[in-house]
Amino acid sequence: MAEPVAAWHYDGRSATRHAVRAVPGPDGFLIEGETDGFGSGPHRWADVVALDGTGGRSVYGLKGVAGWRLIFDGPPPDSFAVHLPLPARYGRVIDRFGLTRAVIIFAVIAAALVFAVLSAPIWIAPLVPRSVENRLGDAMIGDFGGRFCRTDGGKAALDRLAASLGAQEAGVRSVEIANVPMVNAVALPGGRIILFQGLIAQAGSPDEVAGVLAHEIGHVANRDVTAALIRQLGLSVLLGGIDGNIGGALNGLLSLSYGRKAEMSADGYAIGQLARASISPDPTAAFFDRLGRKSGDKGSLERATAWISSHPVSADRKTAFQRSRVAGKRYVPALTAAQWTALRGMCAADRHAKKEKGFNW
Amino acid sequence: MGQDQDSAFRFEGRWQDYAPIAFTNLLLTIVTLGIYRFWATTRSRRYLWSRSRFIDETLEWTGTGMELFVGFLLAVVLFGIPFLILQFGVQALALRGHEGIAGLIGIAAFFFLLFMAGVARFRALRYRLSRTFWHGIRGGSDSNGIRYGLSWLWKSSVGVIPFWLLVPWSMVSLWNERWRQMSFGSQSFASQARARPIFPRFLLFYLMPFLVVIVAGILMATFGIAMVGFAAGGGLPLPFQILTIIAVLVGVYLLLGLIALAYYAAFLREAISNLTLGDIRFRFEASTSEWIGLLIVDILLVVCTLGIGAIFLSYRHWKFFITHLEATGEVSLAALGQSTTREPGQGEGLLDAFDLGAF
Repeated sequence: MAEPVAAWHYDGRSATRHAVRAVPGPDGFLIEGETDGFGSGPHRWADVVALDGTGGRSVYGLKGVAGWRLIFDGPPPDSFAVHLPLPARYGRVIDRFGLTRAVIIFAVIAAALVFAVLSAPIWIAPLVPRSVENRLGDAMIGDFGGRFCRTDGGKAALDRLAASLGAQEAGVRSVEIANVPMVNAVALPGGRIILFQGLIAQAGSPDEVAGVLAHEIGHVANRDVTAALIRQLGLSVLLGGIDGNIGGALNGLLSLSYGRKAEMSADGYAIGQLARASISPDPTAAFFDRLGRKSGDKGSLERATAWISSHPVSADRKTAFQRSRVAGKRYVPALTAAQWTALRGMCAADRHAKKEKGFNW
Repeated sequence: MGQDQDSAFRFEGRWQDYAPIAFTNLLLTIVTLGIYRFWATTRSRRYLWSRSRFIDETLEWTGTGMELFVGFLLAVVLFGIPFLILQFGVQALALRGHEGIAGLIGIAAFFFLLFMAGVARFRALRYRLSRTFWHGIRGGSDSNGIRYGLSWLWKSSVGVIPFWLLVPWSMVSLWNERWRQMSFGSQSFASQARARPIFPRFLLFYLMPFLVVIVAGILMATFGIAMVGFAAGGGLPLPFQILTIIAVLVGVYLLLGLIALAYYAAFLREAISNLTLGDIRFRFEASTSEWIGLLIVDILLVVCTLGIGAIFLSYRHWKFFITHLEATGEVSLAALGQSTTREPGQGEGLLDAFDLGAF
């Protein structure tokens, strides 16, 4: 038996502080009160937990007894120290590796996870069955609150335009015009494309509508919508751990668009389809140009920038369309004059379509 | 014991000692994509509690990062995911034109969330007390907070109805209700805060429109002469007009913030100063100007360090709280037995999910 050591003690049953002697032995130790007849033990070394001490004190707890404390003024005496564990610092796992190594390991894992979540959707998306995506899209959109404009002539013109741009082969299930005065077009889950009435009103010719529509068909063909959904889901799970705004802002920023590559690829698809249908790419290029300039106007600023904010107009994109023009090729209008009139007037003619002024997409 | 009237509570930390904890916490939180923050919180609290002395012994934080993490996961599974689905459903309903049903579900969800926010607040306080030890004794509560959640739901709703006039009453009565169900060791807290003393401060909110008009009037009178000069040339130049509008907007928000701070300072003084535990009476004496000082230094600290200083905010707030907290009366150590309340298994996940403070 080693020498008894003076210590302070709380027994976890009352708030009284006891001055005690701790008597170490090979398997454990005893606690004996110095003045009162107080005492306990033996306590096993294996049950001792090291806690943070303050002011140079060493504080120990006992497994299974809440509030039980043994306190030495200063470092623990040698006869105790050999048996007692070190206090936890950063957490059990990190303490085992050491701070520097743990930071490096975590950083590598984090980078790999972020990379996986950002790149995985592109190859996971094609594996998602179309039927699952279709059901999801239909559940989300339904009849869009009765805002779709439909007349026989306009619908026929729109379907003809979509068919000439390879909509069916791309997996597009419906193309609709929504009575929303926004210059915008979206591809939604389930191969559903919606053109907003504001875009139709802004367009100077059917060829311009064809360019935008072909671009959205490109997104459906490439399954960018599914990829964006998966990416957003993955990011919100991954960044859910980060507190508050940083995570939210980052998440919003990353999932805002399909990404530059996807946009370029959708443009490529659109250019190919326009060429196949012998529709001139020039009006689409001009449309980009006009939208870009329009955003300077005061009143229409918000409406005009809707499509641009999700599809940034760059000089590269415009010239890509312009360059695809083949000199000497005979281009035909995307729709006949009668079809174009029917398409443009569809929302005015369809009295069942609900008009939405301040629709907040 | 308890003879020392002025400084039963003392804060003995130094920011230089806290800095290594704060910086390693930040580093580990970043490289673990935020998951370490539960362990980071635990490390900061262990430091802050251990540097807070009550009479002859420091406090001790015994909570663990794992508890907070499990609490967070539970909150995500039980509430985050159902609400994600609900939100998706409501959006789909609205898009399909069933705005009525979507609205009803939305309102029901709002009230349910309000109820859960109350439960979360109660449970966070219970969790913190149950992990706080002093002289080997911990706090806690025998209630699970469901009833408090219902009280919170109806009292905060009723408080708002008569033009927000009953908000002080709802805040004070909820504070009393919350603390009366808390205990430390074998003793229960008693809370007798009243709404009447803080009501005049609350009325400042209603005075504000008049204050704005008066200030605007003074401004007009001061600059009126200059305006007359410009009037001949077709009014103020545009940049000056814009500056005036910005100044007025900033002024209104600043005034609103100051009133809120003055009210909250009065509320906390009233609330804590009427809190007792056995023969101990607590007191909290932070004045509005001290709160303003705290916030101004907070802002400067964060802005001047490009945001990094934010890691010291919890240190500053805890120090502010402890240095302004006082207690008088006798502590009978032998009579203060261990708490018999059930120890909650996990941490403040719910509170985390609702982003609320515990006090």
